[in-house]
Amino acid sequence: MTPTQPETDDELLIRIQSGDEEAFVALYYRRQAALYRFALHMSGSAQVAEDVTQEVFLALLHEGCGFDPERGTLSGYLFGIARKLVLRSLERGRADVALETDTEDSPVAPLAVNDDPLAALTHREGIEALRRAVQALPRRYREVVVLCDLEEIDYADAAVALACPIGTVRSRLHRARGLLLDKLNQERNPRQAVGGLKPVRCGI
Amino acid sequence: MNCQEFWNTMPEFDDSGGLVNHEHLAHCAGCQARLRSRQELKAGLRAMAGEMRRMQAPKRVEGRLRAAFREHAGMAPSGLGAWPRHARWVPVLTWASAAVVFVLALFLVRGRQPAVATPRVAQGVVMAAAWMPAGMGTDGGTTVMESGFIPLPNAPQIGENDEVNLVRVEVPRFAMIALGFDVKPEEAAQPVQADVMLGNDGLARAVRFLD
Repeated sequence: MTPTQPETDDELLIRIQSGDEEAFVALYYRRQAALYRFALHMSGSAQVAEDVTQEVFLALLHEGCGFDPERGTLSGYLFGIARKLVLRSLERGRADVALETDTEDSPVAPLAVNDDPLAALTHREGIEALRRAVQALPRRYREVVVLCDLEEIDYADAAVALACPIGTVRSRLHRARGLLLDKLNQERNPRQAVGGLKPVRCGI
Repeated sequence: MNCQEFWNTMPEFDDSGGLVNHEHLAHCAGCQARLRSRQELKAGLRAMAGEMRRMQAPKRVEGRLRAAFREHAGMAPSGLGAWPRHARWVPVLTWASAAVVFVLALFLVRGRQPAVATPRVAQGVVMAAAWMPAGMGTDGGTTVMESGFIPLPNAPQIGENDEVNLVRVEVPRFAMIALGFDVKPEEAAQPVQADVMLGNDGLARAVRFLD
């Protein structure tokens, strides 16, 4: 007896459109967590993340929800809906709050002294610093880092979600990582890290 | 190759592993440090992603979406839509029956409260709980007749020690005709009080007219 292959998102969507509630729930369980985290990273608000996650799946229920398999995967499409909803929320100013763990008194908490400022990124404080740095990125860089580095979706899906060419995804990601390094260096060594790391010409 | 050209060959992390032994790195401490920073950043982002991997939407979102889906699909939220079209009256009747049983049980329970004088009201019902008197209903209805109760046709017999409940009701006098009483046509619509004896199952066993 061979194990049955899990249904693809597209197959689940067809069942959903024929009124299959279990298919809807299956797709929800498969995709909700990543969408929720994406919205949370982008908005910094658990409430907005919850609303966005719900609205994304409600959008699927509408007839002709707009998904075109020729243009990309359903995952990328769902992230695209989530992104639009987050942006709408940000424009309304509902999400101008930091993540719950941030405090107003110390928006950038001092970090433990470390000779190598990046060596501790995988430790607790390092992760917190990194999270703050991601949160501080401009929106267009933050979203590509969240999608590609944190949620690890491929560049093609990210391009669908961001409604831009794959090349733009790559270049934004490159730039975003540079900004993150600058931010982390600046946070830990405020005197030294002015301007951060920049390409220099070697004599070689 | 200068630094800019070196980094142009590796715009993304995924390829950085293959660049560790690049000729340029062997001679450029700046790029070595920069590459190391990028690799540490990559590890940090992975750790951050792993830490947040457990986060997901609250459970209540699923509930709201299920309800929205059923509404969108035209299903009744109560699950009525799961019934075949020809059998949709089944849960309705079930609930109606449950309501009747509940009301009856409520009356019976209230009737068990001791020493509560129930005010008499027109068209009202007076409840009582009683133990079946010894011998009652044991000899084919003779004892019942002695206490004034008339066994109802086709009703099961009451055992000697069965608990019974008495319900006082007002019924139109023409109801007596079914039990063999003579009723004048001009009095048929007049009310008459009666005690109805109910078994443990709530079904009427016997009736006694008070008039």
